[in-house]
Amino acid sequence: MSAIHLQNLVKKFGDFTALKTMDLEIADSEFMALLGPSGCGKSTTMNMIAGMEEPTSGKILFGERDMAGVPMGRRGVGFVFQNYAIFTHMTVRQNLAYGPRMRGAAKAEIDRRVGAIAEMLQLSPLLGHKADRLSVNILQRVAIGRSAIMEPAIFLLDEPLSNVDAAFRAVMRTELKQLQRQFRQTMVYVTHDQLEAMTMADRIAVMDHGVLQQVGTPLEVYNNPANVFVARFIGAPGMNLLKGRPAESDRGLVIDLGPLGVTPPLPDELATALRTVRGDVLYGFRPEQVTLAERGLSMPVSFVERIGARTIVHLGEGEGAVKAVFENGVGLSVGQAAVVAPPASSVRVFDAATGLAVRAG
Amino acid sequence: MKRSVPFEIFRYAAIFAAMAVTLVPILWMVSMAFKPIGEWSATGADLTWWPRQPTLSNFRFVFGESDNDLIVALDHTAVKPILSSLLSAVFGTVIAMSAGTAAAYGLSRFGSGQNLPLALTQLRLFPPMAVMIPVMIMWAFLNLNDTWLGLALIYGIVTLPFAFWLMKTFFDDMPREIEEAALVEGCSRLRVFTRITLPMMRAPLASAALFVFILNWSDYLIALLLTTREWVTIPVYMASLSSSMTGQLYGAKAALGLIAAVPPVIMGIAIQRHLVRGLTFGALKQ
Repeated sequence: MSAIHLQNLVKKFGDFTALKTMDLEIADSEFMALLGPSGCGKSTTMNMIAGMEEPTSGKILFGERDMAGVPMGRRGVGFVFQNYAIFTHMTVRQNLAYGPRMRGAAKAEIDRRVGAIAEMLQLSPLLGHKADRLSVNILQRVAIGRSAIMEPAIFLLDEPLSNVDAAFRAVMRTELKQLQRQFRQTMVYVTHDQLEAMTMADRIAVMDHGVLQQVGTPLEVYNNPANVFVARFIGAPGMNLLKGRPAESDRGLVIDLGPLGVTPPLPDELATALRTVRGDVLYGFRPEQVTLAERGLSMPVSFVERIGARTIVHLGEGEGAVKAVFENGVGLSVGQAAVVAPPASSVRVFDAATGLAVRAG
Repeated sequence: MKRSVPFEIFRYAAIFAAMAVTLVPILWMVSMAFKPIGEWSATGADLTWWPRQPTLSNFRFVFGESDNDLIVALDHTAVKPILSSLLSAVFGTVIAMSAGTAAAYGLSRFGSGQNLPLALTQLRLFPPMAVMIPVMIMWAFLNLNDTWLGLALIYGIVTLPFAFWLMKTFFDDMPREIEEAALVEGCSRLRVFTRITLPMMRAPLASAALFVFILNWSDYLIALLLTTREWVTIPVYMASLSSSMTGQLYGAKAALGLIAAVPPVIMGIAIQRHLVRGLTFGALKQ
């Protein structure tokens, strides 16, 4: 079992900086998701942990051990690739047995391990099949099995579910989580799908443009995004952000949203913190927390999007656009004016100049 | 898409013409190979498209049996040229494929030898004649003239660019993750290459090898310049099949041509599955 410490990690490809000074502590047997859009540096980080790429500067430690110069075969990590990387000229059994065979395990030991892992991943009936005739879903199971068979202390998964179909993805989310509970490995899971990160990870590291934006539990990053990027990126749809200016009123500190009017007064703690901010701010609230109210922001409905379980109502236009998620029965149609209000406790405010959250207390 | 009738007629006419250009010479060769002398020689009164009295005498002739109608005896039979062609083409292919595959892998995976692609292409930039004269002199010094080994060496060299370029595209297309997956499991680089990469590249390797083999097998110019008597290859030997009495021995040439067509055809059929499968790697679904 092993913790992972990334210290001042930097990776440059020529002039391009893929990763800017990353510090991250991944605890022993923790499930950490690296979440971010394409090109944010999450895969680069993963490749450096695996030893496929050397950091330009900075350190990677597994427990106390410095990994500099340790080749990937000696790091004792399991790696699952997005495109499976299955050895198609071999059978499923040979694929699963690859790791133990490379490490010189005895025949009986190999058979025992292959049997156990195949049982767990429901691959037993397929052991004799050539790997090039299998569906993508099965291929990814084989890939996971091939990496998991050595019970590595550190398990790295690079977008393992992005090529499989939606139904299977849901199944695998549960299975992967169970796999990790059973073996207690340290898991690092790279994904651009926040649903995967939210459902499986103990903590999420949100990244963008090679910079670590926030590290926290799924609920922390959802409820208290550290900055505007995280606020917009996490959640589907992301957080509503309206530009405004703090203004004192007789009921307390409010935010003047210009043409949209003024917001309800902010909670005291937030108001106290906000009084230190100069200039414009962004008034943020989650679409899911919006309720229809007597008093609040009055905006015209521009579009009604039905997604099955819920209805997403688009309000207003341009800079002042807001999305709100309602139950399907909501009586709103395009052109109508809606008065919406976020509950005071769900309001988050960001400094427009720096993009950072203004935290109460 | 619906096409107009005149276009369809034109399309089929074009396809038919293209097939005729390719197939008629082969048909001619097959027909010739089984004709008795009277039906193919310029002196024969009854020239025909198809043999009226099919015979194997042309085949017997090139393997040394004298033909009473021909009054020609060969000073040596087709056995040695066939052997020469086989040895030089096979070993030439082995040389080109081993060197080409290794070089292509190095460049594709490690970026070593950045100037290599262009340097190898230069081998093909000059007219063969310009290169062959110095080669003849060098080979003479090395006592390689008129040996199958000498031919195999030069075949390996001149077909190396093809082997290299073909293999390079194949390696570029193969996902690195497959090799990385093996490396993570503790496999050495060399072992990855021999146990993972090469077995997975069987299909591309077979297609490239066939291509290179056909180039070597059908060479005339190099063999003409580098062999004189002992180790002449099939094409060179074939050109010598003529007599003062009857001129070109078309029947014998056609018979030999038919024999020469056998190895590429057999190989083509043997690896057909790979050729069709081409470059699709089952493992990669992007």
